[in-house]
Amino acid sequence: MTRASLSGGPDGSVRAAGAVAVPTSAARSSRWRSATARRLTFGYLLLAPAALYVLLLVGAPFLFSLWLAVSDANVGEPVAHFVGLENFRSAWEMDTFWIAMRNSVVFLVVAAIFKSLLGTSLAFLLLQDFKGKKIVRGLVVIPFTLPVAISVLSWKWMYDSQFSVINWVLSRIGVIGGYGSESWPVWLGQPGLALLSCIAVNVWRTFPFSAIVLLAGFTAVPLEVLDAAKVDGCSFFQRFRNIVVPMIFPILMIGFLFDTVFTLSDLSVVYLLTQGGPGNASKILPVLAYQIGIQAGNLGRGAAIALFLVPLLLPAMILVLRNIKRREW
Amino acid sequence: MAAPLTEKQKSRRKHVLIYAGLTPYLFIAVFPIYWMLITAFKHESDLYVMGNVPFWFNLPPTLKNFNTLFYQTNFGSWIVNTMTISAWVALITLLTAVPAGYALARLKLPGAENIGIAIFLTYLVPSIILFLPLSRVVATLDLQDTWWALVVVYPTFTVPFCTWLMMGFFKTVPMEMEEAARVDGCGQLGALVRVVLPVSLPGILTSVIFAFTLSMQDFLYGLAYVAPGDQKPVPVGVPTELIRGDVYFWGSIMAAALLVGLPVAILYNFFLDRFIQGITGGVVK
Repeated sequence: MTRASLSGGPDGSVRAAGAVAVPTSAARSSRWRSATARRLTFGYLLLAPAALYVLLLVGAPFLFSLWLAVSDANVGEPVAHFVGLENFRSAWEMDTFWIAMRNSVVFLVVAAIFKSLLGTSLAFLLLQDFKGKKIVRGLVVIPFTLPVAISVLSWKWMYDSQFSVINWVLSRIGVIGGYGSESWPVWLGQPGLALLSCIAVNVWRTFPFSAIVLLAGFTAVPLEVLDAAKVDGCSFFQRFRNIVVPMIFPILMIGFLFDTVFTLSDLSVVYLLTQGGPGNASKILPVLAYQIGIQAGNLGRGAAIALFLVPLLLPAMILVLRNIKRREW
Repeated sequence: MAAPLTEKQKSRRKHVLIYAGLTPYLFIAVFPIYWMLITAFKHESDLYVMGNVPFWFNLPPTLKNFNTLFYQTNFGSWIVNTMTISAWVALITLLTAVPAGYALARLKLPGAENIGIAIFLTYLVPSIILFLPLSRVVATLDLQDTWWALVVVYPTFTVPFCTWLMMGFFKTVPMEMEEAARVDGCGQLGALVRVVLPVSLPGILTSVIFAFTLSMQDFLYGLAYVAPGDQKPVPVGVPTELIRGDVYFWGSIMAAALLVGLPVAILYNFFLDRFIQGITGGVVK
């Protein structure tokens, strides 16, 4: 962001340099310089709309959220005052905040474990040669390509307290009792189950993403290298550990980190399924930030809670940056 | 005496194993869609009977849920809103991301790489951090409670993503083509408009698709900024207007999910590899 903000600067200075260049030195060099100046001016002009949009609607709001977090901004009152770290302190002292923080971390870790297991095994299967691969691939990625708010509704209906199809099957095969019995699970209504049910939907939604990212990594490993290692007598696991893993590591990291950012900051699954309930059993930080910031109208405290995500996200973002830097140009 | 397996038998055995392995994944992935489909066509009285086998119709299929959806809710407006929002978002994205991508990829600007990365990184700033400050922006522009708010806000994620995507595309256009056009008397702009843009049409089309599909993935902004029932986009309208308190119109909800979700999913499906490529940068060649 800061780098993009500089884009206005060189533009002006280069134009000035071009103007100065004309009357000085040899004609050839000045023509060269003015051509360069023209190219740069043209370039920065083309870049300006996107850079401005991003600066004004991502950069500035981000800074503004820092200000909100240290102010007593409210939906009703237009004038906000500086209150220092009061919002952070009050969040820190809120039991709900810590529940939400814990739930967010549990959500992230448990979901990551399951989607990497499902994703890796699926990627291995899709790596094989078989008929109908395109169709299978197309079907299997549907959970990821469906708009999230839409697919979550299907799950909400499958988790229905009375007419849950999951319970119907479990009850028919005798795992649980009939409706109303002790062992009849209310997926979204029981404190012990609500968060897990939400995690299951997140895993369902994103395991195809893990699989496809891994698959892209696998297919990038040149077969000759693997064959050479085979000839040299490396076992399957040696080849996997010493060739495949190091080669796909960068893409693996990026996929993993994107998923971390999206999972940590997504509110739609939990909001639509449980709104964080019952009680606070499935409340995660984004839901809490929404409820306090928009529903209760306390912009300052909502912004502070959302910003607590930054320390969780920052390591992921730095790693993404380092990996992207390696992109070949 | 067991005869040694022929090639054909071996291949068949392998196929059976692979399909057997894939079945659970396919089931997990597709069952919720099947569930939408069957619920959408069921009579209400068929949905809420515990004794019935729920996987098939116990009463004849009906279109009543679709009827309810179109005649008793704002579903029609939601679709129109979604399409209009997406069209505007696509337009804004194209007008900003295509020139920016070109400038960063081709014009040897000092620091182009870092500027590109900086713009792309803003795609990673989550909406949950931006939605409160942006609510003030939306209020200042006097756009709250209309879908125009979303037209302003959605490019915050489509512009960074598509700029990055277009950078990748423009890099694949051979430099010589542009130089040839320049020699033939086109200016810088002429070369861009007459030579580079036409061969980059697939990339531009991809950006339009992403402007559309990424907009459809949003829920938070729509939920936070647009309250009136007839102004909502589909992904916000369906869950907020078809669930009234404790009353769920499951048949109609699933009908809506099906009508909107499936086309988007299929469209996105075709461009998924591009999305993955965009995200992972040039790590995969």
